[in-house]
Amino acid sequence: MSKRLLVLISLTGLVGMACFGRVALAQPTVNLKIDPPEGELVPFEASAKVQPSPVRLMLQARNPAGQPLQDAKIRLQIFTPASNFWLPTDFPLLEGKKLLEIEAISPDGTLQVQQMLPIRGTYQLQVAVAPTTGNQFKPFQQTLTLVVPENGVKYRNFGLLAAVLLLVGLGGGLILGSPQQIQLGEVAPKRVRLLLSGAVLTAIAALLIVNIRAELAESHSYHAETHGGPVPTITTPASSQKLGLKFLGQTQATVGKPANLAVQVVNLKTGQPLRNVNLRVRVMPLGEDWLAFSYQGSAEANGLRWQQQFFDGVPHRLAVEARPQAGAAFKFEPVTGFQDIDVQGVTPPLGSRLLVLAYLTGIVGLGLLIGLGLRGRFAQTQA
Amino acid sequence: MTAHSSKALPARQRACSLTLSLPIQVALYLSLCSLTLWTVYFSPYPPVHDGMHSLRHHTLTVACH
Repeated sequence: MSKRLLVLISLTGLVGMACFGRVALAQPTVNLKIDPPEGELVPFEASAKVQPSPVRLMLQARNPAGQPLQDAKIRLQIFTPASNFWLPTDFPLLEGKKLLEIEAISPDGTLQVQQMLPIRGTYQLQVAVAPTTGNQFKPFQQTLTLVVPENGVKYRNFGLLAAVLLLVGLGGGLILGSPQQIQLGEVAPKRVRLLLSGAVLTAIAALLIVNIRAELAESHSYHAETHGGPVPTITTPASSQKLGLKFLGQTQATVGKPANLAVQVVNLKTGQPLRNVNLRVRVMPLGEDWLAFSYQGSAEANGLRWQQQFFDGVPHRLAVEARPQAGAAFKFEPVTGFQDIDVQGVTPPLGSRLLVLAYLTGIVGLGLLIGLGLRGRFAQTQA
Repeated sequence: MTAHSSKALPARQRACSLTLSLPIQVALYLSLCSLTLWTVYFSPYPPVHDGMHSLRHHTLTVACH
């Protein structure tokens, strides 16, 4: 009897777990599709021979049955990989920061952006989905991750540099460890060696002066240029339609600080923003061919607002094209406009640069020790 | 004149031996290498930075922006 009871309890438990599991699975979700696929992702490569391309992120909000959610407000936040003090990237100011925040209304539950990923590591994509009207579904959040491996060229170059530095140290150790007394037939007499030492001292002093002056000049120029005046609003009118694009965001940005950007399509007569418009937004550095960010989709009544992190300290151009949505009551010809954003570059933290300098000097020091050790052994065997 | 020469000689010898001593030579050599590395890989001095921009971005651990 007790065995039967145990079996019954076990079966009830299993059925309950299965039901609970189904309920737990029955949650609305966000599917992420990326192009290129995750295995082929590489971080942004500055001064690359091949034009760097951003990753295309396609988010699709689905209900528990797997059907696309209609009329959803989707907010996407992308956070860069966490900072590792001991192994910095080439953009240390961007480590552990918000790279992008954008919120858009989507009739079909999709959000599509293109974003250049500047550094290696694991990116976090936080997605919040809510209904635009009523209680069609319960708002929910989901965190997705995206792993970007480091560019292999950087490992190769660091390996080559380490080998060269080790050889420089080894050579130095072998020469400095040799007997210093003047000997018959010696090529360099003591005076010449003194002269060389003097030249080394002069070179050190010259390099020190140049670098300290450059460091001070950089920090002064940064302070002078980042304390600008109020941000102006630029309106680009369309020629014949009395419509225009109104850029409401920053015209000056700094690397390492998210910039607030916004654009509206407005009726220039009434000043009222237009509804039911589709926007195509592209942000590119001036004079370069690569795309830092792009968005294609609908805009809210008060326009499209987003936060974006610039990582290259060069002027960028924000280009926007507005079109009426399919089925919109008010039809108009596409409106285009642009706004230039001055992006101020910032010198990487002194601590991280000094740390890596210590690594590299340490490799030279290791080579020196090996050279001196070899010279010492050679002297011992000769004695 | 003779007295002056005999006084100057030990000082010159001391300077020679100090400058040519192994620790000083090693320190000078490491300092020169270190400052050269700083200039090539880490200096924000615009002419140097612009010239070395690509190399900096293509070397692991080197911060450029």
